[in-house]
Amino acid sequence: MAQQKHSPQPACRDFEETLVLYYYGDCEGPERDRAEEHLKACSSCSHFLAELGTFLPLMAKPKEFPQSFWDNYYGELRRKLAAGDPRESWWGGRFSWLRPLAVPALGAAMIVILALALPFTATIWRPQGQPGEEAAPQEIRTVAKNLDFFESMDLLESLDLLEALEEAKARNGHGQKL
Amino acid sequence: MEKDPLPDLRDEDLVAMCQRGERRAFDILVLRHMRRAYQIAFDFTHDYEEAKDLSQEAFLRAFSQINRFDGRSAFYTWLYRIIVNLCLDHHRRRGRFPWQRLNGEAPQTGEEREPATAASTPDQEAMAGEVKQRLGTALEGLPKSQRTAFLLRNHEGLSIPEIANVMQTTEGTVRVHLHRAVAALRQSLTGLA
Repeated sequence: MAQQKHSPQPACRDFEETLVLYYYGDCEGPERDRAEEHLKACSSCSHFLAELGTFLPLMAKPKEFPQSFWDNYYGELRRKLAAGDPRESWWGGRFSWLRPLAVPALGAAMIVILALALPFTATIWRPQGQPGEEAAPQEIRTVAKNLDFFESMDLLESLDLLEALEEAKARNGHGQKL
Repeated sequence: MEKDPLPDLRDEDLVAMCQRGERRAFDILVLRHMRRAYQIAFDFTHDYEEAKDLSQEAFLRAFSQINRFDGRSAFYTWLYRIIVNLCLDHHRRRGRFPWQRLNGEAPQTGEEREPATAASTPDQEAMAGEVKQRLGTALEGLPKSQRTAFLLRNHEGLSIPEIANVMQTTEGTVRVHLHRAVAALRQSLTGLA
């Protein structure tokens, strides 16, 4: 059997959009009357409409699920709602008109606070009666002094040892001579 | 599963209760809209797990932002907007969606498999598979605005004003997107035997 290849026949240019709406039932009043009148006389548009009725329903097949599916769906969603409860607090809605302004306003407020606070903090935290540059190395200098002390102690101990050695040598030399 | 315990209350009433801190009201909104939310996410992803994750994420976001909902649109169009945006973001991050699953290549459980009708022959089934494959590929190739408009109209049955609300555009623009999407899909069937 010879098969006929499908080639969509064009509907009348002025009516195609109307016929799509007519198919879906979105065409009312005079527009609908005009379309129906035209369809009586135009085979191309009648064919076009029939084609829509053939292929468009193929695409829309709502899935039917068992009741257990919906029970699980509903239960799972309720758990998510209860767990997250991400809803805003009661006052969130009342002040929602402020939300777009919040970030810039907060930023500006922070800058102003910092600008006002910086001079005060510099005065308050600087140690009184000491030049700023000497305040910090004070502890370091103390440690350095201690280090000097211990180094000189080591040196003195070394000198003591040398003197003791010298004396011991001298004594030994004297004993040998005797 | 629970039934809607407050069927007389409109979504808008439940949203107002939720905004006053009654969390139970949101559970009822979930009950009312979870099927449609899941279906939209599935139409975009064609993946059961991703559809579940994305639709649940949409509910969590809706809940967290419920105080920002101003009631200018219906709750469900607001929710669908969140879902569509999540799906489009997901698509952008992940790349291509596996549209080929439209023709049944994806592994299916017994519950999901469609029963073969007595009237369908192997040839007809093959043809239907080919048609779905082409339509799926063409749908993937559509610009996201056309795809969104088409899915919301053809798959979800939303009206043009509702789609305009979800997509935050005009009704005229939606009509144009829808027409172009249908024309492109129809064109994709050219040459089929």
